[in-house]
Amino acid sequence: MLPFLARRMAMAIGTVLAAVVISFLLVHATDTSPGAVRLGTNATPERIVAENEALGWNRPLPTQFFDYLGDLVRGDLGTSLIDGRSIAADLADRVPVTASIALFATLLSGVLGIVLGVAAAFRGGRVARLITTGSGVALSLPVFWVGILLVYVLALQLGWLPATGYVPFTVDPVGWFTSLLIPVIALTIGGAAIVARTANAGLRQALGQEHVRTLRAMGTPEWRIRYVHALRFASLPVVSVLGIQFIALFGGSVIIENLFALPGLGQAGQAAAASSDFPALVGVVVVATVVVVLINLLLDLVVAALDPKVRAS
Amino acid sequence: MSVLPLDAADDVTTEPGPPARRRVPDVLRRPGGLLAAGWLIFIVVASLTAPWWRPYGVAEQDLANRLALPSAEHWLGTDPLGRDLLSRIFTAGTEPLLSSAVTVLVAFGIGLPLALIAAERGPRVERVISRVTEVFLALPSTILLLAVIGVIGVRIFIIMAVLGVLISAAVYRVMLGVAQSVRTRLYVDAARVNGLGSLRVNVVHVLPSMATVIAVQAAQLYGIGLLIVAGLAFLGFGPAEPDPSWGFMIQDASSYVFNAPWLMVPTGLVLALTVIAANELADAIAGKAAGETAPVRRRRSPARTAPAEIPPADPAAVLEVRDLTIAVDDGPDLVTGVSFALRPGRVLGLVGESGCGKTMTARSLLGLLPDGVSVRGGAIHWRGQDLVGRTEKELSAVRGREIAMISQEPMVALDPMFSVAYQLTQPIRRFRGVGRGEARRIAAELLRNVGIVDAERVLKSYPHQLSGGMAQRVCIALALTGEPELLIADEPTTALDVTVQAEILTLLRALVRDTGLSVVIVSHDLGVVADICDDVAVMYAGTVVESGTAAAVLDGPRHPYTQALLAANPHVPDGVAVPARLASIPGTVPPPGSWPTGCRFASRCQFAQDQCRAPFPAEPAHGIGSVLCVRADELAGAHLSWDADPVGAAPTPATTPTAGASR
Repeated sequence: MLPFLARRMAMAIGTVLAAVVISFLLVHATDTSPGAVRLGTNATPERIVAENEALGWNRPLPTQFFDYLGDLVRGDLGTSLIDGRSIAADLADRVPVTASIALFATLLSGVLGIVLGVAAAFRGGRVARLITTGSGVALSLPVFWVGILLVYVLALQLGWLPATGYVPFTVDPVGWFTSLLIPVIALTIGGAAIVARTANAGLRQALGQEHVRTLRAMGTPEWRIRYVHALRFASLPVVSVLGIQFIALFGGSVIIENLFALPGLGQAGQAAAASSDFPALVGVVVVATVVVVLINLLLDLVVAALDPKVRAS
Repeated sequence: MSVLPLDAADDVTTEPGPPARRRVPDVLRRPGGLLAAGWLIFIVVASLTAPWWRPYGVAEQDLANRLALPSAEHWLGTDPLGRDLLSRIFTAGTEPLLSSAVTVLVAFGIGLPLALIAAERGPRVERVISRVTEVFLALPSTILLLAVIGVIGVRIFIIMAVLGVLISAAVYRVMLGVAQSVRTRLYVDAARVNGLGSLRVNVVHVLPSMATVIAVQAAQLYGIGLLIVAGLAFLGFGPAEPDPSWGFMIQDASSYVFNAPWLMVPTGLVLALTVIAANELADAIAGKAAGETAPVRRRRSPARTAPAEIPPADPAAVLEVRDLTIAVDDGPDLVTGVSFALRPGRVLGLVGESGCGKTMTARSLLGLLPDGVSVRGGAIHWRGQDLVGRTEKELSAVRGREIAMISQEPMVALDPMFSVAYQLTQPIRRFRGVGRGEARRIAAELLRNVGIVDAERVLKSYPHQLSGGMAQRVCIALALTGEPELLIADEPTTALDVTVQAEILTLLRALVRDTGLSVVIVSHDLGVVADICDDVAVMYAGTVVESGTAAAVLDGPRHPYTQALLAANPHVPDGVAVPARLASIPGTVPPPGSWPTGCRFASRCQFAQDQCRAPFPAEPAHGIGSVLCVRADELAGAHLSWDADPVGAAPTPATTPTAGASR
């Protein structure tokens, strides 16, 4: 168990480091300099050179890298080239928005997907066919299109939920919840489909296992075979898919945040990409990676709790 | 973009198929696959040729007809500037359709060779590559793409190539599993031994076996790529106006969703249908499309075929199988006319080569035949009731409580996710109605009864921590939790080491002696039978050819097949010289559905004559047993027995001896 955790921990640190290196190199590989970005299109070359000098852009690359790493460890991500705001403070406000969408959507996908997967695996016949076909379609739908459809139906036609916008939790908890509902549902449709497929496949595989035959030979009640043994067997692939799902949702939230005007990490990433705000870009990549890596570590603990082989190792 | 990188569930078959050349027709024979392939071809051709056939230019505005619904002039309607949607949608298709292909090519161009190298070079190289790819997998790829865009600007083909690099980690992971499993096949080694170079081995032998999985994953990835290109365009990272893109057209529609909801329909549908088609194609290639999902629901046993009230022939028998026929539903018979009887406290051996129907017969006693196989006739009398045609519910009252079973592979017979304690106490509580603590005490006692000294430690263990012999002891303890009267042991020692085999047999013998348990033991090993059985039924090609007490059958076999088995048996009694050569039985057991009329062994029998090829009944033999050989008396009279080196019966080159190869 401990070696396992240590290995995963090393993996996590390595991943964050890789994200820093990749984004750092990316930013430094370009012709555009931060001075040019900060001063806009009307700046003279001399002023740009001076600005770059002031930003420390001309120092040797390793020096800049280790400076950045040092700041990063202290929680300093630098300031935006566009408006000079502190990137760390800005992202700290945004992470909860994205995280709550991704977390809600992952949980809802998990619950719905497992229910559907169980129904497909255990009922068979027409129910199974409907769920398999339906999930095949659902996971192919572009999330931004689904989002618009949901807005049309739930907000415009039925008037149940607000169409766009974000209400901070501290201002109005109920408003916060309803403002997240459509984005979460939009993300859940595809997510639940993937979980349902995984659960279905896992349960079918479980029921074909030799140990299930042993259980049958012992006269074990069918409900216990299905809901205790088969479900436990299928829980490992489901959990790992939920983890991947969270990563995908966290990264993919850019689109949904754009569509619903949610002030999350993705929106910041989009703005930074559009304006070549390099420090903000690196900051978004690093923060997103840290969150993803933390969630992965959490999942490793869940897997360790579920799988005796991991626990014993 | 909330799509995960590839089917992480691995539910698309990661089992490599045999090198198949007829894959494409197979895919197209399915309606879904055909439709999907048709749509993809249509959309690609229509998009690439759009400049030549589109009714309007992409920037051509018809200001009188803004936000129009479909009409004769604008088949799909118009956008807020009155531009023709049909023309724009198909013109816009080129970029996503091509750039997504770039992602697929790059991802496979990197992931596949890495997987082949890792599979070929062994664990150390594999570990290094796998660690690196794990890091890539954990990176939030969409956000990284944004960083790339921020640096290099909107250059879609380069961006999608970068995406291909990021996704190659996922491709590598899936392909590695497949490549490793292909590499373990013998023919790959054989090719290497034959001196083929590494590249040639991969191209000629490994890649063709991976073709199906590659096609499935590529089709899925293509769909994901489409969604990502469209997603980026939706965010404004796509072709600049007035050039159309699917994503931006949907973004545009989102601001008109109140006034002109139609606007989002055509573009969204075309994009959705294309992605659905890619995924459906993947499903069709994988052969797991919706229509093919077989229900897992337990099949009810078929209705009783014959009245059950036949008085038992042997009043003392606790189990009597009579004229049992087992068949594949709508298929050939697997077992026909099998009869045997078992008295309390005795051990019956079902012996024969692999594929004789021994295991099917044993499993039918508990109603545990595989899906699609059922008892078609005959009776299984168990303590006065016929088990054939019972419902699952009625059978589950018998299972474990009256008849229990231990299986061939103890290592997989226990649930890997639960401790031994849980797996033992659960049935103990159910069968004996005791509490948790008492159940645990009984479990420990049962473990000690099956010869496990440190029962407490084993109780706390999980199956993967047990050795094969230990696992089989736990399985036996599990079988004893319901204090059954009959134990069915299907090759209980086959998977174990030789020394452990002997221990398990000793244990079974002690249990029979101490508890009065009856046992049906399935084995291909005559040594096991001689060791432990009181009675024996020799099976060949789905039927019992000879039965009787073990002593009588083994000492004076009357059926040529039994004689051949004994002659081929490498177990030699103490004090007898090992024969210079063991006999073999030419040929193999004929598979179900191709059994000859008359004696099924005739084609491999040294003594076969014309009369053997017509049907004939079994004759009584060995006291309570029988023999199914029309020449049995004649052969016995002439003192003929199976010859290790039969004159004039040279085996044909194509056949391989299967008997006597005691594993």
